[in-house]
Amino acid sequence: MILIILACLQAILLVAAAPLVSGSARWMRAKFQTRKGPPILQDYYDISKLFKRQDLHTKDSSFVHRLMPPLFIGVMMLIFMGIPVVTRFSPIPLLGDVILIIYLMVLPRLFFALSAIDTGSSYAGVGGIRELLIGVLVEPAMLLALFVTILATGTTNVGEMGMMVGSFAAVNPVAVALAGVAFACACYMELGKLPYDLAEAEQELQEGPLSEYSGPSLAYCKIALYMKQIVVVSLLVAIFIPFGSATELTVPAMALGLVLYLAKVVVIFFICTIFENVVARVRFKLFGHQTWTVVGIAALALVFFVLGI
Amino acid sequence: MSDTANTNLKTGESHVKAVQERFPGAVLNTAWSAEDQVVIDVVPSKAPELIEHLYYERYGWLSVVVGNDERPLNGHYAVYYVLSMEGEDPSYCTVRVQVPADTCEFYSVTPKVPAVVWGEREVQDMFGLKALGITDNRNLVLPDDWPAGLYPLRKDSMDYRYRPEPVSDVENYEFLSETGDRETTVIPMGPLHITSDEPGHFRLFVEGEDIIDADYRMFYVHRGMEKCAESRMNYDTVPFLAERICGICGFAHSVAYVATIERAQGIEVPPRAQYIRSILLETERLHSHLLNLGLVCHFSGFDTGFHHMFRVREKSMDLAEMLTGARKTYGVNLIGGVRRDILAEQKLATLKFLDELRTEAGYLVEELLSTPNFIKRAKGVGILDKKIARDYSPVGPTVRGSGFARDARWCHPYDGYKHLNRSAFTQDTCDVLGRTLVRVDEFMDSLTMISELLENAPAGPILNESWTYEPHRYAVSATEAPRGEDLHWAMIGDNQKCYRWRAKASTYSNWPPLRYMFRGNTISDAAMIVGSIDPCYSCTERVAIVDIKSKTQQVLSRQQLEDYSRNRKHSPLEKRGTRYL
Repeated sequence: MILIILACLQAILLVAAAPLVSGSARWMRAKFQTRKGPPILQDYYDISKLFKRQDLHTKDSSFVHRLMPPLFIGVMMLIFMGIPVVTRFSPIPLLGDVILIIYLMVLPRLFFALSAIDTGSSYAGVGGIRELLIGVLVEPAMLLALFVTILATGTTNVGEMGMMVGSFAAVNPVAVALAGVAFACACYMELGKLPYDLAEAEQELQEGPLSEYSGPSLAYCKIALYMKQIVVVSLLVAIFIPFGSATELTVPAMALGLVLYLAKVVVIFFICTIFENVVARVRFKLFGHQTWTVVGIAALALVFFVLGI
Repeated sequence: MSDTANTNLKTGESHVKAVQERFPGAVLNTAWSAEDQVVIDVVPSKAPELIEHLYYERYGWLSVVVGNDERPLNGHYAVYYVLSMEGEDPSYCTVRVQVPADTCEFYSVTPKVPAVVWGEREVQDMFGLKALGITDNRNLVLPDDWPAGLYPLRKDSMDYRYRPEPVSDVENYEFLSETGDRETTVIPMGPLHITSDEPGHFRLFVEGEDIIDADYRMFYVHRGMEKCAESRMNYDTVPFLAERICGICGFAHSVAYVATIERAQGIEVPPRAQYIRSILLETERLHSHLLNLGLVCHFSGFDTGFHHMFRVREKSMDLAEMLTGARKTYGVNLIGGVRRDILAEQKLATLKFLDELRTEAGYLVEELLSTPNFIKRAKGVGILDKKIARDYSPVGPTVRGSGFARDARWCHPYDGYKHLNRSAFTQDTCDVLGRTLVRVDEFMDSLTMISELLENAPAGPILNESWTYEPHRYAVSATEAPRGEDLHWAMIGDNQKCYRWRAKASTYSNWPPLRYMFRGNTISDAAMIVGSIDPCYSCTERVAIVDIKSKTQQVLSRQQLEDYSRNRKHSPLEKRGTRYL
């Protein structure tokens, strides 16, 4: 029962904290650009304003365009309920299966792309196709890295994988570490930050799939995209850097787990934001080259696993 | 027109001789409108071949095409093709074709020299002269809803304040594409360009992400400055209008305009004024090139670089403010010299600014070139093929990035540049990177040039006011603005006004070849490519509001919008229940 409450708490906190994460990134971005910048809470203000606006959809769009924003948020909440955050184990083990998580992440992506094509707008359409292509290119790298970890830990449950990695019990530590690196790179691409924000590239496609959303729908989309960033980072933390999270359900252990989780996430987002601000956007045609590098790292991890190191 | 009998060949005379030899009987008359400017009157039917010969075989480049309604003077229209001869015997060679006032027809040069296409389309729009054989007959300058038969620049057509009612409610401009039998999707960009936020309507014909062809419609905000100058302003107030053609290269325009009058009238500009003009022209180049370097960062998604470039650019604006009294170098030029001297302490302060700019910009450029992905985004993108460049006469860093050393400062030295011994910077890569690197080199060189000019500027007067006014003389004058050659052609009348003033901004020459630069690239490169020619448009369109629910459309008139933006009261959309504005 406690675990179910914990899972629900996690999901609610995810929604509540998402604009804070993006607001901090915006604030830091402004500092990089020697601007005063918006307050950290700006994204909350933006979203509350969007909720007051009219919700418009293009004449030709079908239910897909209306369904996508709530679906995106719902799926993200569902995934987050199964991810170990404060604890070492998954609050709802059924949802903690890594294969299930990967597939659940494909669902909103598919709808995101479909809704973009659904609008009939050429910019959104191009953005939607790009989004699908990114998925096709990034997911193999992600899956391969996870596959190595699954083999090394002998389980597909996120909590149990974290448990093995956290206690250094995996049979092939080098292979797992390398898989972690590959997974981290793939996660960064999945975040949709520069230089990989191809689907929404402002200078190229005018926010791509988002361009035909307005009002509350746009607010939902924005929250969902921020949530996705937290989910992806939390997944990385849960599997590969679970150190310090609570292994039992006591208050001190949970408190320590929470503090450490927040610290880890803050550090990761800090690094991501630095990276995001010192690069130019990758040329869309060359994106594939960079994902192949990540697939290469993951493949190397597999080789190490086979070699037994 | 000056007829000084020299025993030696005059500047530009070798071209005349060559033409006379090649086309016997084609040349009707030859005259020199200024020392290095020869005007050849030709038989209309021979004009296309003759211009082709000058252009391709004697290394001429097209500067501008000027139409002129000379019916009050000699009963005819005339079209002037101004060619900049940059090979042997550098000079301006103007080919004048007389167009009979009854038929209004002349032979199009476009099939022979593609570079003149925009010029001839403009002459068709503005004067109603018919270019026989031109392939592209669409409107260029006039709106598509302009009444037929109203030609603004004819002397007897309309008052400069007249705004005719639109004859059509929809945009009916036809976008052309050469996509062969491929099935393409159209990606519209504009009428407000998405990233440079300026009015220009692009249509990209794409297959997936690849651009097969592109077409564009400009001149949404033609301000009618030429008409205004001819009918309302005096010839000596036009410099202040000319500099408002552009918010970036305004000083280059005002220098170009005053120089046309000075050349045509033979006015001696005091050396100190010449130096001051060059110093301010280079100051303008500093902030313009930093602007473009900032934009190239923005277009490639590197916004940090964009903001830092703009931070440093503020310094060059401060420099301009210190030297001219305003952030923009406006209000300095007069016919015969300048209004403001550079004082000793300003000179010292300028040198200090230059040092700071050199260090900070140098650091930023290094940073930009080492930014991940930047080189990959710029290299090999937006290729301006050398052949296309030769055919279309682009100017500025656009043509210099394709290996041609075209630079008005060194091809036809003027003002302070006569005393500097330099040549143009070029790059051979023909791509966005090449054009960016040319700008970097020029920026650094401008800093050196300003300090050299400051050191060597002679003392003395800065304005020459003793000269006599001779009507109906004309000349061309070019300045090298940061974006390329600004060219002005002016003829003053007998009423203290410009009889005809033609101002060509640098970007005008760079639009026609842009189409070829798009081809073979992807949508993601489009903004980079447009940005790399450093385009310059000017503002506002009518607004159409469509209500989805009631499926009605309301088009706001210009008057409604103007009133609302002046008073901020009685929004034209208020009664619709939703706040749009």
